[in-house]
Amino acid sequence: MVKEQYRETDVARKISHVSFGVDSRHNMERQAHIHVVAKNLYSQDSQRTPVQYGVLDKRMGTCSNASNCTTCGKSLNECIGHFGYIDLELPVFHVGYFRSVICILQSICKKCSHVMLNDTDKKHYLTRVLNPNLGYLSRKALRKQILEKAKKTSVCPNCKDLNGTVKKAGLLKIVHEKYKAKKKIDAVVQEKLAEYNNVLEDNKQLEGILQSGLVNILNPLEVQGILERIPIYDIPLLLMNPNCGLPKDLILTRIPVPPICIRPSVVSDLKAGTNEDNLTMKLSEIVFINDVIQKHRQSGAKVQMYNEDWEFLQLHCALYMNSEMSGIPLNMQPKKSGRGLVQRLKGKQGRFRGNLSGKRVDFSSRTVISPDPNLRIEQVGVPIHVAKILTYPERVNPWNIELMRKLVQNGPDVHPGANFVQQGKTQFKKFLRYGNRQKIAQDLQYGDIVERHLRDDDVVLFNRQPSLHKLSIMAHKAKVLEHRTFRFNECVCTPYNADFDGDEMNLHLPQTEEARAEALVLMGNKANLVTPRNGELLIAATQDFITGGYLLTQKDTFLNKSQASQLASCLLAGPDANMNITLPPPAILKPYKLWTGKQIFSLILKPNDKCHIKANLKTKGKAYTSNEELCINDSYVIIRNSELLAGSMDKSTLGSGSKQNIFYVLLRDWGEDASTTAMWRLARIASYYLMNRGFSIGIGDVTPGQGLLKAKQELLNAGYSKCTEYIRQMEQGRLVCQPGCTEEETLEAMILRELSVIRDHAGKACLKELHPSNSPLIMALSGSKGSFINISQMIACVGQQAISGHRVPNGFEDRALPHFERHSKIPAAKGFVENSFYSGLTPTEFFFHTMGGREGLVDTAVKTAETGYMQRRLVKSLEDLCLHYDMTVRNSVGDIIQVLYGGDALDPTYMEGKDCPVDYKRVLDHVRAKSPYKNEEPLDGANVIKATSELLSSDDYSCLSVEFKQELETFLKSVARKIARLRQNFDSSSPVTLQLERLTVSQLVEFIHICKEKYMRAKIEPGTAVGALAAQSIGEPGTQMTLKTFHFAGVASMNITQGVPRIKEIINANPKISTPIITAALEIDSDPEYARQVKGRIEKTTLGEVTEYIEEVYLPDDCFLLIKLDVDRIKLLKLEVDVNSIRYSICTSRLRLNPKLVNVRGDSIITVTPSKQKCSLNYALTQLKETVPNIVIKGLPSVARAVIHNDDSSGKTKYKLFVEGDNMREVMATMGVLGRKTTSNNTIEVFRTLGIEAARATIMTEIKLVMENHGMSIDRRHPMLVADLMTSRGEVLGITRQGLAKMKESVLNLASFEKTADHLFDAAYYGQKDAICGVSESIIMGIPVPVGTGIFKLLHKAEKDEPQKRKLIFDDPQFHKKITGT
Amino acid sequence: MIPLENARESRGAISTCTRSWQTYIVSRLHCESESFKMDLILDINSWLYPMELGDKFRLVLATTLREDGYPDGGDWNAIEQEGGSRADSFEYVMSGKVYRIEGDEASNEPSSRLSAYVSFGGLLMRLQGDANNLHGFEIDQHMYLLMKKLAF
Repeated sequence: MVKEQYRETDVARKISHVSFGVDSRHNMERQAHIHVVAKNLYSQDSQRTPVQYGVLDKRMGTCSNASNCTTCGKSLNECIGHFGYIDLELPVFHVGYFRSVICILQSICKKCSHVMLNDTDKKHYLTRVLNPNLGYLSRKALRKQILEKAKKTSVCPNCKDLNGTVKKAGLLKIVHEKYKAKKKIDAVVQEKLAEYNNVLEDNKQLEGILQSGLVNILNPLEVQGILERIPIYDIPLLLMNPNCGLPKDLILTRIPVPPICIRPSVVSDLKAGTNEDNLTMKLSEIVFINDVIQKHRQSGAKVQMYNEDWEFLQLHCALYMNSEMSGIPLNMQPKKSGRGLVQRLKGKQGRFRGNLSGKRVDFSSRTVISPDPNLRIEQVGVPIHVAKILTYPERVNPWNIELMRKLVQNGPDVHPGANFVQQGKTQFKKFLRYGNRQKIAQDLQYGDIVERHLRDDDVVLFNRQPSLHKLSIMAHKAKVLEHRTFRFNECVCTPYNADFDGDEMNLHLPQTEEARAEALVLMGNKANLVTPRNGELLIAATQDFITGGYLLTQKDTFLNKSQASQLASCLLAGPDANMNITLPPPAILKPYKLWTGKQIFSLILKPNDKCHIKANLKTKGKAYTSNEELCINDSYVIIRNSELLAGSMDKSTLGSGSKQNIFYVLLRDWGEDASTTAMWRLARIASYYLMNRGFSIGIGDVTPGQGLLKAKQELLNAGYSKCTEYIRQMEQGRLVCQPGCTEEETLEAMILRELSVIRDHAGKACLKELHPSNSPLIMALSGSKGSFINISQMIACVGQQAISGHRVPNGFEDRALPHFERHSKIPAAKGFVENSFYSGLTPTEFFFHTMGGREGLVDTAVKTAETGYMQRRLVKSLEDLCLHYDMTVRNSVGDIIQVLYGGDALDPTYMEGKDCPVDYKRVLDHVRAKSPYKNEEPLDGANVIKATSELLSSDDYSCLSVEFKQELETFLKSVARKIARLRQNFDSSSPVTLQLERLTVSQLVEFIHICKEKYMRAKIEPGTAVGALAAQSIGEPGTQMTLKTFHFAGVASMNITQGVPRIKEIINANPKISTPIITAALEIDSDPEYARQVKGRIEKTTLGEVTEYIEEVYLPDDCFLLIKLDVDRIKLLKLEVDVNSIRYSICTSRLRLNPKLVNVRGDSIITVTPSKQKCSLNYALTQLKETVPNIVIKGLPSVARAVIHNDDSSGKTKYKLFVEGDNMREVMATMGVLGRKTTSNNTIEVFRTLGIEAARATIMTEIKLVMENHGMSIDRRHPMLVADLMTSRGEVLGITRQGLAKMKESVLNLASFEKTADHLFDAAYYGQKDAICGVSESIIMGIPVPVGTGIFKLLHKAEKDEPQKRKLIFDDPQFHKKITGT
Repeated sequence: MIPLENARESRGAISTCTRSWQTYIVSRLHCESESFKMDLILDINSWLYPMELGDKFRLVLATTLREDGYPDGGDWNAIEQEGGSRADSFEYVMSGKVYRIEGDEASNEPSSRLSAYVSFGGLLMRLQGDANNLHGFEIDQHMYLLMKKLAF
């Protein structure tokens, strides 16, 4: 009996597209069942029956169990509801289409309703518009073009009538200023004004407002008339689709009344009456106003009253759709704003985001989590209580029928039981709590479905919010346990970012075999040990496991036989309970048999001889000093053939965030099972070892000793004396300023640096002085928790409190706290805390500390909101990018974003080396160690090269890329060189010398084979949702970044924005960034003088800066301004100006001085004579004196500052310029600047100057820089994809709602992002069709997403039965009437 | 059968004896040999076997502990071996593995000084000397270290 295969819902009814349109008056009636006319909701009887033809008429559906729908007769659950309609007495504007209506009016003639384009334009546009393959974006652009063109036309080409501007005038009013463009005296205007002569004669007062007679307020009725008259062949020019809606439908004359079930009335028992939905109330109000207007019309009321009610009707119709309209006049404002139709759709809780993109699910559970190191990595402990509620529908078959019988017998209350049985044939579901379970069990047949309880090893999905990356939801294997919490191994905390301080998590149980298989293979946490962000291990030992591993592998950990055996026996648990353990020979045989901790640690990798796992690792640890394994801190780890030979394990070799990790090595060389098993063994051994050894913190651990106190005091004294020295220097004015800083700033920077160093030094002193058994110290050394700074704060010195990177600012007059002298700059007055948490803080120190603490709190609060939004935007714009079978990255409509993913089509998850799928050196060492090939002769250098090239050219390796082969060859050449050198240096007579760098043929073959395997494995799979991965990889680290800004390397004064704000700037493609900096390379980069010269050319220099004095000179016959230049200063600054060039600058400046009035008098003197103006000469001179110093005489006006940066990294000092400002083009063109190597950090600026490819490169490097600055590594492919997407349309599009609207075609996608209503109304106007192909759209429509395993479809040729043509009755001769004729 | 040539004997004196600051149990000895011009760095458990600066000791490296020289198969748990054990005449015995033999890479001129590294469960030994004196060494070889103090 074959299990039924999962099929997508009936293929015959696939949704091909969703189309949007404007419903016509006629259609509304067709869809409706009743015409709603009654304004009352209920009739005045006690039963509260809805009024017939009212808005709550039962024919539109029902909202209570008590009564059925009177149209279809179905009950509450079955009736889908029926529409009604209200006829409006007068047409009104539709709020959603109001803007569109204005646009239409702007582009058509108000008299003849033709589009105001001349014939050639019309023809031209018509051909373009009628192209059926035109995309949504180009349609939008075309509409804009046509509108712009038509707007400019003031005379209709068709009827030659005058047309003016049409614009919005107040709330939902349109005004047509027909004569605005004409002068008052124009004949046409005069003619119009003459029409009013009659009235004016009677009432002279009207003359004042005569002008307003020229404008015409178009009321909805008039507009309707105009729109109705638009000729059908002009409609496409408005970019509307006549099949989906006509312009006249944009005016409301009839509104549909939605079914009752979407606006249910709530009957409350407490008070008589019901609570009605906002929509119901609004609708009944509309009916009421309708009534009033009708009465007015019948009674012939005054026009004002009539108009007033019309306006009221207009307002209420608008509020019904959108209750958050702005600009409602005060007297008309509704008392309470309800939820309109738009409000129901938009926002986080709205229909789109709350109900369509994310839905509530069954078979899920949620409870508190707690740790359990005894569970394996892939397991999750599920409480029995939960296990009895979550069920899995299992089909009965010959192999499980016995088990199923037993489960059915157990029923819903005993754990391995079942809740329901569904009989295969009848589809009838039986609840097992009641009824005869024995009998049901006996009657069980093959094909029945038993909804059994969740049991051990069921695949479940486990998730913790916020789900920032794909590792936030992973598949585990269930393990049913006692008690009430979900439990899992602490190693899995990192991907979920979970701790156990009360966190809750969700668990889902997939319901089909297909779902289970897919979940296990793709989402299983064993399959996701590594993050795609950078290929580093995310699931690895944490906290106590690292501490335990560290302590166990210390050099002085010795165990006697019983201890060693007991510790080794920790491994005997779970599936390994009957495993053999081969205890290695003791390291010390005599005088006593003692094992070292390292030997026991080796057991977690290879517990017995039968185990074939041979892991090899050689790496530096955290505390590595020098001399490889002879490092005095024993921090050079060597693991050879699964034996820990040297070094103690710590965070870098056990924990997450590194590739030099033992579990990573196991994972890559021996597979995920080996890795997770080892991790689980470590979890067990480390926790048992710690439990036996004991590990706790007491007051003794944070009590400083005499030595430490003395060391701290010395540090403090030294720091303080330096600070006082600086302060004195400043007071005396001897302080040397840092480039671009004032004295004060320099002092602050220097003192801050001095004081921050104290804490770090105190930390180092702690390291020296504390006993090695000190628990915090052990934790810091092993890297399991805390840092030296934390220890230093507890024991020695809390240190300087910084607020946004500076010392505590003045909160009082000239001082931070009133406890100190004014203007005091001493450390204590500006937030330096010299006490430790142990010694206790003084009141002022405490206060400063709280200030620092608050900054941190505010920071995290702001950060979470900001990064959350950023993540959402990133994901929304990148979600549909996926890799296709031709290795291109495309979006959902098939536009190519990248031709080859990442340039090499490799998966970032599988990068073992740096941006390379193989860490050659490690793999070679691994091969040498694990397969010694003892009998083979080692190769010499030349043979290695020969063998390599022979091998690589063979057919087996043709699948490798050229670059990869080249890399491999380069590496092996370096190995060959090494071998050759060693062979040369040592005579080969002694056999031991052949052991040096031994490499045999078989080893070489194996090595190259492994490299190939790794490369082929690293090839990215088609279907991978690379977009989502990139978005998550950039968004998720954002949450870990602090908002603080950091100093620019080397230059104290130049801060550039870092962290989340900077990432935001980059991906928003902000044209104005907060710290634009141009890095200019110099033509001669070794000469500081030259650098200063170029700096002078770039930096803005004003006249005032280079003048000695400016004097007003009054002579009897003349008066002028005398400017004396400071020639020495000009020389010193290397400015390339002289008197003549300055005169030129003055003349060409904005002051518009007559060149004749500016005269050079000697080498350094310029005179400026004020021109004869209206004002007095004295005033002119004074004004001149004030403005002249601001004249820019050299440099770029937009550049306020340029700083020379000297880079000492390459031994020789190299100079380059950092230019603050945006004018990259000018900077590049400056003489002395190397234009080719000049970069800016402003992407838009780079785009404008250098083009789109340069902008793309800038985005990539800038994202990388920010991430590196925060110590986070990201694979280069992720920023590359983001940059490629942002620049794929030929301009830099930000990942914002504006940018997104230019990237996506899908209406549903855009609507589910932001501005829901606007996008929907727009789509309706254009008559847009949404072919459901993206991710968001598919989710909304409930269709499998075309990404990942959904990218391919199974095409299968069905043997269709041709519908048989039925024989026509009259073709049968039998029925033929015999024609007997004559 | 011929007994294998499997033991290498050396006499040495401790030239320097450093204690790394954090490990009190293990000391690192820097020693020189009297005869073969060899340098030795050795970690020992100095609680069990204290050593002082200037102490002289006899050190034997062997691949088996059996007196008759047959391989012992790494069997450490045997209570009493036939023919007695070499360990009987020594005070301090460790077992470990040779894991690395390297030449002096820095210099380019021909020399024959090699270093052999042995790890006794994390207690390291580095024996530096002429290639001829290290010719029995092989990577992944099991090795016993036997020590005995000598009177002057």
